[in-house]
Order: sequence, then C-alpha cells, then structure tokens
Amino acid sequence: MRPPRALLAAAACAALALGADVPLTRGARVFPSMSLIPSTELAAQDVAFASTGFRAAGADMAWVQMLQYCAGGLDVIPDEGGYSRLKDVALRVVRLDPSFHRAYTYAAGILAWFHGVDRPDEAAEILQEGLRNDPGQKMYPMYIAAIAFKKKGDADGMVALLDSAYDDPQTSPPMRAILANLHKSRGEYEKALAIWEDILSSDRDQTEHARARIAIPELKRLIQERAAAPRRRAR
Amino acid sequence: MGTIKAVFDYTFREHVRHKVWLSAALFGLIMIAGALVTSALAQDERARMLLDLGLAANEAIALVSIVFLTVHLILQEIESRAVFLILTHPVRRADYLLGRFFGTLAAVGLVMAVTGLAHWGLLKAAGLLEGGSYLLAWACSFGKVAIMGALSLLLSLALTSEAAAMAFATFLWVLGHFTAEIRFLADKSASPAMRAFLMVAARAAPDFAHLNYRDAWHAGFPSASWIGAAALYCVAYSAACLALAVQAFDQKEF
Repeated sequence: MRPPRALLAAAACAALALGADVPLTRGARVFPSMSLIPSTELAAQDVAFASTGFRAAGADMAWVQMLQYCAGGLDVIPDEGGYSRLKDVALRVVRLDPSFHRAYTYAAGILAWFHGVDRPDEAAEILQEGLRNDPGQKMYPMYIAAIAFKKKGDADGMVALLDSAYDDPQTSPPMRAILANLHKSRGEYEKALAIWEDILSSDRDQTEHARARIAIPELKRLIQERAAAPRRRAR
Repeated sequence: MGTIKAVFDYTFREHVRHKVWLSAALFGLIMIAGALVTSALAQDERARMLLDLGLAANEAIALVSIVFLTVHLILQEIESRAVFLILTHPVRRADYLLGRFFGTLAAVGLVMAVTGLAHWGLLKAAGLLEGGSYLLAWACSFGKVAIMGALSLLLSLALTSEAAAMAFATFLWVLGHFTAEIRFLADKSASPAMRAFLMVAARAAPDFAHLNYRDAWHAGFPSASWIGAAALYCVAYSAACLALAVQAFDQKEF
C-alpha cells in the first residue's frame, strides 16, 4: 500500500524545514540563557517576557524599572542604600537584551562615579559583560579604562577619558552630571559650569535639568568668589 | 485552485465582518497607543521602547487571533454541521481546508498590516525610526503567526477538544522560544538516549527564536542568506503542518 500523498508532502516539507534550520541555528544570535537572568523580586516578569519571545520588550520594561530604582522609587526591589542592588537590576536588562548599550553605561556610571556609591569593581563587571555580549561598542573599553585610572588614583587620566566621551550619544545624562561634579570637585568650576549649561540647553538631558538649575547659580557664585579672592588679598 | 479561492474569499469576508476581527484591530491600535504613553517613561530610550512594545503588541494580538480562529475554524463547522453543506458540493477536503486556512491567515495578516502601518507611521512621524527594517520585523512576525496558524489547525483536527488544542498551541509557542536551551541541555547531557531525544525535540518543535528579528533589531541587520533561510523555514514548516492537517481531515468520518 502506498502512503497517502499528504504524508509524503509533509515529509518533504519537514525535510526542507530541517535543511533551513541548520544555517539559521548556526547564524543565530545568542541570547544569555534564562537561568542567567538575576533572580530578583521581578524574576517572574522577566521569565514571562523571555519565554514568550518578547525579550526586547521585557528589557525595555526592566530598563524603566531600573530608572525608577535609580530615582529611589521602586518599592518592589528594596534597597539597603547606596544602590546596593543596582548591579542585579542592570544585569536583568542586559541579559534580556544584550544589545541594550545604554543600560551598561548608565549603571556602570552610577556604580563607579556617583557620589557616595563608589563600587568600581561592580561597574567593571557590567562593562566586561558588555564587551563579551555586545561587541563593537567603544564606550565600554573607555569606561573600563577610566575605572582603572580611578582605582590607580590617576584622576587626571580618568577625567580626560570621560571628557573625551562627553559628546558621545551613548553618554547618559547622569554620567554628564557626574562629569560636571568631578570637574567641580577638582576646582574646575568653569568646565563644570559649561557642562551644566549644556545639560540645561539639551532636550536629551531633561532628567538632569532640575539639578542643573541648582548647580549653575552655585557654580557662578563660586567662580565670582574665586575671582574676588585675589583682589581682596591684594587690598 | 478555483475552489480554494472561493473558500478563501468567503472565509476572509466572514472574518473581516466578524466582531472578533474588529476587536483585534482596535485592541492592537490601543496597545500601540499605550506603548506611546509607556515609552515616555524610558527617558532617551523612548524610540527603542516604542518600537519594541509596538512590534510585540502587534505580534501578541496576531498570535492570540490566529490560535483562537484556527482552532475554531473547522471544529465549529463540524459541530454546526455546516461542513456537510460544503462538502456535498464538488469540493475536495484538502481544497476546503487550505481555503479556510489561507482566508484566516489573510484576515489576521490584514489586522497585522493595519496595526503595523499605524505603528510605523507613528514612529516615522515622530522621527523615532532608527536603523533596521520594519518590513523585515513585520514579515518575521507574520511568519511566526503562519506557523502557529498551521500548527493550531493541525492540533484542532488531531485532538478532540478545542481547549486541548489551544493549550497545546500555547505550549508549543513557549517551547518554540526554548529551543536554544533544549540544544544546550542536549550538549551537556551525558546519556546518548537523552541527547538524541532532546535533539529530536529541538528540531521538531517550531524554532520561533530564529524569527525573532525584532529582538535582534538593535544588534544589526541580518544577511540576505539568513532572510532566505528564515523564509524557507516558515513556508516549509507551515506546509508540513498543513499537509498533516489535510491527512487528519481526510481521515475524519462525519
């Protein structure tokens, strides 16, 4: 008895599909395994997005939650202070979608340079993951080098590197604000003022506008005081 | 071919006039409008979020629609005995099945086109469309929907209940995004029998991860050979499922 034509057609089509599957599997973009997504209070959300094939959308939601966390407004992930869980929160984003360039630099910037945080090793770990899973981004090696300068105590080298990345579209608004504060802490008030004024005039940096409005008059006052000091001394 | 077209036409008209189709299109547009609001929270990653959420919403709506419609497609006509009226005419069962399937796929494709066009227009008008190919992302989603439609039709004919067919279809959708993990497990498995079983499972399950271009949008544009292989995979996998569905429908006794 001959097998029905429909079954023969199904077998031929299945063979074709298998044939096409081989080059697709070989050239497939590799995403981090779901078991590597950090286990946070929002793990169920991450797994739901990843297992239904919506990794990019899941990463976007995780990104918004990371912004909320950094702004101190994410109750679901309790913080012990100093952004204690920022590394896990950032790894959620980049392990759902490894091409989320901004998440690596945003989190690393806060961990390495934000006032009172100072966890450069965690920042370097995030950036090294970026080098592995999101190759071709020039900001990651630059930030890693800047962190190395920081750990060596070479503030000049670090600030020079960060300055060179200032205009890069991947430089996040908080990182620009951090850079302004670094200049201020080094007594370079004019450079700090120029950065804050640039931030205030940029639509992209809207999240830092409130801080810029506070920082600009303060820096202007500091510049005036410094200019007045030698005159006073001369008198 | 003429019979398939006749069945296709009436199926397409039936779906487009149906409230479910209109609801799906409306819901898709609302989801995209929702993405517009939600993306405002993403600071300067707004373009990325609006793109990702819009594409995801479009695919999710199409997926739910195709599974729901194809599972009911034949079973409801068998239950209402309407299928007898059609099959008493000189209509081959295979032609009837293919006409019904392609009519449904075209109706769902139209929903995807309407919501996709609205989404693309929104991104374009706001100047938020950067790199990548929207058409390719849409086509990959449509390929996944076509495979799911063919699979759901096969399941509805092979299983006895609509609920079971929908549950299996959902299971296969999720499994289709786990094939990389299954292959990883097979590589790590020490037992040759387990390895063989896992490899067969990974090959037999629809590999939807291949077609997730929208998730890989930000990583760069794929090669022409990848696009060709993906198109062949969609057509061949859907055709294999349809051929099995024709076989199952041929063997059904009314």
